[in-house]
Amino acid sequence: MRHLFLIDEQEVEAGLLPADTGYRLLLGDADIPVALADGRLTVAGRSEPVAVALEGDVAHVHLDGRAWRVEFVDAVERYAHTGHAGADDVIIAPMPGSVVAVNVAAGDSVAAGQVLLVIESMKLETAIKAPRAGTIDMVHVAAAATFNKGAPLVALAPATEG
Amino acid sequence: MPHFPFDTVLVANRGEIAARILRTVKRLGLKGAVVYHVADKGAPAIALADIAIEITGKTPVAAFLDGEQIIAAALKAGAGAVHPGYGFLSENAGFARAVAAAGIRFVGPEPAAIELMGDKVRARKFVADRGFPVAPSAIEDDDPASFVERARLVGTPLLIKPSAGGGGKGMRIVRDLGVLEEEIIRARSEGQRYFGDGRLYVERFVENPRHIEVQVMGDAHGTVIHLHERECSVQRRFQKIVEETPSPALTAQQRKQICETAAGIARAANYRNAGTVEFIYGAGEFFFLEMNTRLQVEHPVTEMITGLDLVEVQLRVAAGEKLDLAQDAVPSAGHAIELRLYAESPARGFVPTTGKVLALRLPQGVRVDSGITQGQSITTAFDPMLAKVIVHGATRAEAIAKGRAALRDLVLLGCETNAAFLDRLLADDAFAKGEVHTGTLDARPDIAAEPALTDDLKARLIAAAALSLRPVKDSADRIQPVHAAIGGWRSA
Repeated sequence: MRHLFLIDEQEVEAGLLPADTGYRLLLGDADIPVALADGRLTVAGRSEPVAVALEGDVAHVHLDGRAWRVEFVDAVERYAHTGHAGADDVIIAPMPGSVVAVNVAAGDSVAAGQVLLVIESMKLETAIKAPRAGTIDMVHVAAAATFNKGAPLVALAPATEG
Repeated sequence: MPHFPFDTVLVANRGEIAARILRTVKRLGLKGAVVYHVADKGAPAIALADIAIEITGKTPVAAFLDGEQIIAAALKAGAGAVHPGYGFLSENAGFARAVAAAGIRFVGPEPAAIELMGDKVRARKFVADRGFPVAPSAIEDDDPASFVERARLVGTPLLIKPSAGGGGKGMRIVRDLGVLEEEIIRARSEGQRYFGDGRLYVERFVENPRHIEVQVMGDAHGTVIHLHERECSVQRRFQKIVEETPSPALTAQQRKQICETAAGIARAANYRNAGTVEFIYGAGEFFFLEMNTRLQVEHPVTEMITGLDLVEVQLRVAAGEKLDLAQDAVPSAGHAIELRLYAESPARGFVPTTGKVLALRLPQGVRVDSGITQGQSITTAFDPMLAKVIVHGATRAEAIAKGRAALRDLVLLGCETNAAFLDRLLADDAFAKGEVHTGTLDARPDIAAEPALTDDLKARLIAAAALSLRPVKDSADRIQPVHAAIGGWRSA
């Protein structure tokens, strides 16, 4: 699966796959063998020293004589987290992007897991699914609209007791 | 070991300067005491000191500016001397007097010299009256009727400034005396508009000026010597970033002249202890700018070429010893450069940055005066300077090469710094040729700009980040490459 990485706020979509030996990095059309061990990073056979420090989902990477901030944005995790938060029924954009399709309208009843929206970020399509059964309170975005990370996409009406 | 009439020195400062002073204090067999604010808990200076006394204030900075509290701490520590470092109370004549009144030696000049040089207008008049070069100037207040005539005598190019001005507002450069009068009228109206005050001041304008300063040292027996010059032209927001000695701008003759002028000014002011006479230099001319009555941030470059420990000299002079170094015997060996590591973002206009120091590796084999440690939080409570990297080479080119190697060896993760910017600056052709002036960074935004993120760099960065993050997420049992990545050098 491809994820979004923010390198000094610039978005890059990439994926990391386990391979027979080590890992492969999927970046654009490229499929690159990568490895990290004993403070050395190997990318496509080229090895160099690297230092990394983690802070939550942010990796601070020292490479080419400077430190870079690389933030890992896991679309599914963000989405799931937002959905399970409970206290807040607003589904928030996990990353900046644009709206590919809007499948629901205010007042619609939806089932848990139903696809509400499809969004796209850096050629990565993500289905925004209902975190629980309920009624759509408001759809904040229209098809083809663009949004920033953290923007409200869809709001569910508060769940009623019973 | 020299004998001192005090056995404990209190350092009234923080960060790299407190650590640096404490090292010398302890090397001389004296006890070191330091005041600290809780915002600096865990800082290296506190660990270095024999005695650390907490001070408090409305803000961390306010605590360091509270002279009474610092003197109380010095008395509590049994300190016979107070070293003020730089900044805070280092140029506060009232504090120097209060320290003396408490029966403690102030490691710095006499209060009268601090006062004289602290008043820029008075200092300039003092220097000019004794025949030393100050930029030709005229103040309208002195005699408004003759102002235009006096301004003419300043010569071109000249700079018209509102007397009440600041921040560059209402300033006009005149290169042709034919338009002087009308420019003065315009400037007066601008001054009135901006500051509600139309009074003016003119001075000779130095094109592409360079900032050159001379380290001086005086003792209580009337001896004043200079310890050569430093060039500090690379600045942003009037704050120095890179300092070096010798200045690449001066000929041997000019160097001698500027250094002797500085010593002469200090001698005229009956100057004692360490001080710095600052000059503006351009087109072969230099003019007195101001005198700083303290040890300065960039003193290590002077130490590198002279082989002296300036804090030791300061303590000896404060103890009443005579300077035992003849002017002609002050060494000037090789070339030294100081690089200031700041928590800031050069690409975003050098704005200060914050964060936690998650990993820190200081360059080896070169002098690093550092006030930070791993795990420390960098906040906006204090100045954003984190450390100074000081390199020395037989030649300027060798020093530049060592500086670049040291910067590339430096790893600080968790808080954005200007390290890569400093490396780009040292690599720049203009810097290599010594062709910099105080406006260079404004004129060359390309040096501050971040290079483009290439596909190759993206791949390497994401690989490093993803390989470090993913195994942590995948399984807690699996060996985590991130630990290997850091441990590889942390244990070194």
